[in-house]
Amino acid sequence: MIEVRHLSKRYPSGSVALDDVTLDISAGEFVTLIGPSGAGKSTLLRSINGLVAPSAGTITVSGEPVTDASREGLRNVRARVGFVFQHFNLLKRLSVLDNVRIGTLSRIGLWPSLAGLFPEGESERARRALRRVGLAGLESRRADTLSGGQQQRVGIARALVQEPRVLLADEPMSSLDPALSRSLMELLQHVNREDGVTVIASLHVLDLALHYGERIVGLRAGRVVHDGPPATLTPAVAATIFGDARA
Amino acid sequence: MSRASRSGAALAIAAALLWSMWSTDVSLRRLVEGGPFMLGFIRRMLPPDLSVLGQALHGALQTLQIALLGTAVAAVLAIPLALAAARNTSPRWLFYCTRSALNVFRAIDTLVYALFFVAAVGLGPFPGVLAVVVYTTTVLAKLFSEAIEAMDPGPVEAVQAVGASRLQVLRWGVLPQLGPEFVSFTLYRFETNIRAAAVLGFVGGGGIGFYIQTYLRLLNYPAASTVLLVLIVMVMLVDYTSSRLRARLI
Repeated sequence: MIEVRHLSKRYPSGSVALDDVTLDISAGEFVTLIGPSGAGKSTLLRSINGLVAPSAGTITVSGEPVTDASREGLRNVRARVGFVFQHFNLLKRLSVLDNVRIGTLSRIGLWPSLAGLFPEGESERARRALRRVGLAGLESRRADTLSGGQQQRVGIARALVQEPRVLLADEPMSSLDPALSRSLMELLQHVNREDGVTVIASLHVLDLALHYGERIVGLRAGRVVHDGPPATLTPAVAATIFGDARA
Repeated sequence: MSRASRSGAALAIAAALLWSMWSTDVSLRRLVEGGPFMLGFIRRMLPPDLSVLGQALHGALQTLQIALLGTAVAAVLAIPLALAAARNTSPRWLFYCTRSALNVFRAIDTLVYALFFVAAVGLGPFPGVLAVVVYTTTVLAKLFSEAIEAMDPGPVEAVQAVGASRLQVLRWGVLPQLGPEFVSFTLYRFETNIRAAAVLGFVGGGGIGFYIQTYLRLLNYPAASTVLLVLIVMVMLVDYTSSRLRARLI
């Protein structure tokens, strides 16, 4: 489903975010990505939908290339890859419904989309996505009047309405409190199990990864240092990933 | 700041104020002696001569039109200039050139531009419009470019991430962030331009200022006071409407 081959990313500042990462992720997997901040989790996720252009290596999603893709090709890949951001990245002044309908832009014609004329079917899909994340009734509220947890649910609904094959979540819980984190992780788990959507979520909290991850990939200094089910993540392995000097 | 540098700064400010008072011939005696004249001036303005109300309204309307047209044209011209003058949308060399040029032209006020355009294209409201356009363009370009620099790149990225095209990203990622701010800045400048356009007539730039100046020169104070009253009402109406609109936008 997702093939990452020898991926490296060096930023112009000289810092190395990814160093020869190779990873295969099959359809329907629920992968959690862990590692200290600066380990390259964000860069890896953002490379998969082409928000970051790697320095070397290749990525394909469902056999379609992401690296070196044409503008059109990249848009087609992105259309089926949902992305949930750490800071939600909603349009604050727009309504909740409009924020979710943004997820349908790749499917509707250019002129109607510029005029804000969404087909009724797409609006209905957006309302359904909002019901699914538990925000029915808030459609016409301005996005910035919602709480943090609600805003992240809008972010998830925006990704769901894309009807994605893959859902990438970049530390989706790190701006939220632990109780909210668990309920949102369960939401991602439902999406994975019921719709068969492949989920890759980076997490900064180890116990969320242990509890919800089926496969845990540990990154350290841009390299994959662990890859396996939660049971294999022993304290010694965790220490390797997080660089605990006492281990 | 240390205690020594604070008292040093206080001394410097006090010295600058005293020096300015001395240079500008500030004199309490002359102010007191001028008091009866000021009172007399106001007494001579009353009651207002309402027979010139038609002229006053005509002048006010023209001032409104100068401000409206000048601000609207300036808002359109300011958008490409703002893109060139914003750090995050413009190459370094273009950014510095545009910023410097804007700073130079913004140093000159609307009234000075009016003198220039009256000389260039002749008397009347047209040079007034040109003056408003030039000065307002430089101000709005600065304000717009700061809004562009302060724009949150996150939502723009989110719209790109759903597979939207470039135009769709502009429409749904950029416009919702910048549109209300641009309109709000433009309305604010429109309020200011009403005041600026009201004095353009003093230098031949048309509008209500022409009547104010003419009646004052003719020593026809009752007529001048009617024109001033119309100006006050117009400015208050525009301020009220425009600030209500701005409050709803943001």
